[in-house]
Amino acid sequence: MYKTMILALGLAVGSGGVAMAQSAWTGGDDLPTSPLACDGAAGAAAAMPYDGGQPTAAPDLKGQKITVVDVPKLIGIGYFNATSKGIADAATELGSVDAKTDGPTKANIDEQITFLDNYITSGVNGILFAANDPVAIAPVLKKALSKGIHVVGYDANSTPDAREWFVNQAQFNGIAKSMIDNMAKEAGEEAAFAIVTSTFTTPNQARWIAEMAAYQAQCHPKMKWLETVEAQEDNVLSFNQATTLINKYGDELKGIFGMTSVATPASAEAVSQGGKCGSIAVVGLATPNAMKPYVEKDCVKSVVLWNPVDLGYAAMYVLRAAIDGDLKPGATSVKAGKLGELQVINGSEVLLGQPYTFTKENIGNFDF
Amino acid sequence: MTIRSFLRHETILLLLLVIALIVLAQQSDRFFTTDNLLNQARLMAEVGLLALPMTFVIVTGGIDLSVGSIFGLAAILLGVFWHGLGLPLPLAMALAVLVGGIAGLGNGLIITRFNVPPLIATLATLALYRGLAEGISQARSVRGYPEWFFVLGQGEVLGLPTQLWFLLAIAIAAAIVLGLTTFGRTTYAIGANEVAARFSGLNVARTKLLIYTGSGLVAGLAAVIFVSRVSTTRSDMGTGLELDVITAVVLGGTSIFGGRGTIIGTLLGLILMQALKSGLALGGVKGDGTIVVIGVVLIAAILLGNLLSRNGDG
Amino acid sequence: MSFDVMQSRPSFPRRLLGFVEANGQEAIILAAIILLFVVVGVVNPRFLGNSNLTSIFSGNAYIAVAAIGMALVIISGNIDVSVGSLIGVLATIAGTLAVNGYPIIVCWLAPLAVGVAINAFVGFLVAYVRIPSIVVTLGMLSVLKGGLISATAGAWINNLPPEFMLAQFRPFGVPAPIYFMVTLTLLAALWMRYSGFGRTIYAIGGNPDAARVTGIRIERSIVCVFMIHGFFAGIAAVLFATQLQVIQSTVPPNLELTVITAAVVGGVSILGGTGTVIGSTLAAILFAAIGSALIFTNVSAYWLRAVQGLFILATVLADMARRRRLR
Repeated sequence: MYKTMILALGLAVGSGGVAMAQSAWTGGDDLPTSPLACDGAAGAAAAMPYDGGQPTAAPDLKGQKITVVDVPKLIGIGYFNATSKGIADAATELGSVDAKTDGPTKANIDEQITFLDNYITSGVNGILFAANDPVAIAPVLKKALSKGIHVVGYDANSTPDAREWFVNQAQFNGIAKSMIDNMAKEAGEEAAFAIVTSTFTTPNQARWIAEMAAYQAQCHPKMKWLETVEAQEDNVLSFNQATTLINKYGDELKGIFGMTSVATPASAEAVSQGGKCGSIAVVGLATPNAMKPYVEKDCVKSVVLWNPVDLGYAAMYVLRAAIDGDLKPGATSVKAGKLGELQVINGSEVLLGQPYTFTKENIGNFDF
Repeated sequence: MTIRSFLRHETILLLLLVIALIVLAQQSDRFFTTDNLLNQARLMAEVGLLALPMTFVIVTGGIDLSVGSIFGLAAILLGVFWHGLGLPLPLAMALAVLVGGIAGLGNGLIITRFNVPPLIATLATLALYRGLAEGISQARSVRGYPEWFFVLGQGEVLGLPTQLWFLLAIAIAAAIVLGLTTFGRTTYAIGANEVAARFSGLNVARTKLLIYTGSGLVAGLAAVIFVSRVSTTRSDMGTGLELDVITAVVLGGTSIFGGRGTIIGTLLGLILMQALKSGLALGGVKGDGTIVVIGVVLIAAILLGNLLSRNGDG
Repeated sequence: MSFDVMQSRPSFPRRLLGFVEANGQEAIILAAIILLFVVVGVVNPRFLGNSNLTSIFSGNAYIAVAAIGMALVIISGNIDVSVGSLIGVLATIAGTLAVNGYPIIVCWLAPLAVGVAINAFVGFLVAYVRIPSIVVTLGMLSVLKGGLISATAGAWINNLPPEFMLAQFRPFGVPAPIYFMVTLTLLAALWMRYSGFGRTIYAIGGNPDAARVTGIRIERSIVCVFMIHGFFAGIAAVLFATQLQVIQSTVPPNLELTVITAAVVGGVSILGGTGTVIGSTLAAILFAAIGSALIFTNVSAYWLRAVQGLFILATVLADMARRRRLR
């Protein structure tokens, strides 16, 4: 009887596997892609009506002192330290804002929800978040809205109706174009490349990879996509994975993409320790401080990123504007302190700007 | 081993809990409100459910590290059965729970048939079941469940969160089975001295098999409730859950060497942990500080229990 | 392609069984390593290339080193689930000292000292206060992890001085971590087998009551075991911290599970009393090789953990079958 049951488990698992594994996988997700034009001509963005949610019976706090909590995907990594710094900077600048950052120690949907829930109970006026999962976080955010708490996302979005605004660091297709174009420029139009990402379930990374695949097929069709490997948010694992890729493909491998601020410096280190500087290009998302050593010795030529300090800064300004009633559904732009006017896109997203490419010439000017 | 020595740790724990509640209530006036307490009950339901069979497992002197992975596997398969295979959702839910049970049975078979120590067996299945979840889901999540499904995880029944009813029902059942039945006495006997239990004619293998299967079944149920609470499935669900569950059980006074422990203790341990998490957060302590406090409380509670019970015995 | 590997699996334990009966768990794992190298080497000869072998061995040496200490702890009938957090803390200490200009030798030795001190405390709680080791270390896991994040806020440590980079030294063209792994494993193995204290550890793990009757001072020995474990964790932390140009100052995810798994799959009985450190080092190498092999054989990375789990299960079941036949 036990054997039958084990068999049943095997069958259940097997049939499930077959059902889900219909298509080859590249590390991307299933959502439709919208690659940009190859020459960089901005596509005509169709104006969308506001699709965010609104808090119910939010108290009028215009100009008054507010408490704000920032719950990023996880705490204790450089990237979210930087966004947290931006939020703190903006809070100081605005005055009368009491902002703090708190969150799980690993990118875990359950713990993030628990944190948010506790802060809703503690009675904050505003919530800033970067979602570990767009759908899983929605119920708790809707609960916040229903209690009159203002909710603004940054870095990683939730479903639109669960928050008022989302500060978009750069559009997915913009990042994808930037990455692929830089790789084509450095490694050549026929280069074979591999990707080191965090985990396959991380929504932002999966989205970027999907957009990269679409853009590469359209604009750089001769490039060859070798494979994508998973390396958590772990330095040493990223290094080992990148080294293994280099060993596996030998001279065939011309480029490595790092999809996280952890994977990119670790991949650069692997190329550097493997003595492959110049023959394997590393392009990726990373913070400038971690990349300076490699950029300065010409091992890495271009690092793509928005400024995460600015991202946090903008998110705090957007939240204040929403609380003060200065940013209402239908607005087309919002003032964000030293960043000036930011544009509203896709209905309820505030665009930080175009992704920035750090190079040897300008990387020294940044410190984060 | 008298009833009194059984209750000793629970009494200390109850005292600790009362002190903690008083202190925490003073830190924030929003802590001791019906709203918050019910909400905390919702948040702790999954860990609570898993902690009940884990108490049985640890009382037998075993451990089940794979519950978090079974949880993830069941969650993924719920999505696959419903969305991928097009089964009706109620059937998919039942199958997901069943898969949890089968996964638990797998643990039980490895442990009883091959005499593999539970720690190693479930360490292996921790990787295996999580691996199956990742492999099957291919990192795709399943969303778009119908509205009625969310009653389980987000709704209320008779004024209490739905999952609290499940937790209460299973907790009462578990307390009765462990405290008052032959099965419960067998469970204690195995933990106190497995060889002696076998020689006195108790069916050790069958009891263990049932316990690990039950652990898997409950993990499957908790997974369904969790999916309903967060309205999506992902293959990384429940990662690291086993440590929370074991902490609650051990905090509740169940001896890791087996033979000792009660469901009441587990529930108290669970509530103390959740109260600390919530109360400290409301009192302005950050998450990393809370982790430290829970670690210290765990060691301190066991330490206190040890010191007092040794004095009492001596 | 991915199915080739999967399909060859069922016959693998069976083939091994005969060979294994005469030998121990070490033999199973050694055989598994050799089999893996041969199969994957045929599929893709680059797997056996010098650079890949070097990176398999040196990139994961710190896990093997930590597993040595863990093996001792488990042989003595205890366990430590906090080792990942401990290594994270010790690596951060080493890096912080290094960027603040302390002499390099201090940066290398401080983690060892701190590791020994922290684990002396853990050992004290386990041996003298009699709190089960899993409870103490479960608590320590929280304390160390939460404390580390509170203290550093996860700020990365950059600009480490080049002379600090122990793991990047290559005496005679071989990376330093490999020397550490091999030397420490052999020394620990010899010491466990031939020294009086080594036999004491086996005795305590095998039957504490009997050990006590023979006059072994169990409490003191257990504290010593934990201190030695802390020492190895310190070395592992230095190797871990000096591998790359940056230290993350967080707890490496799942490191404790990897280390414990290496120790137990290496044949250290979780019930205490048996096992060797050679087995645990071999198991650490096996896991590193599996991770690398999956990439080389194009097995979808999604199945990585499932394959690892099957491997653990297969080695453990083979060992159990062997013990049953011996009985």
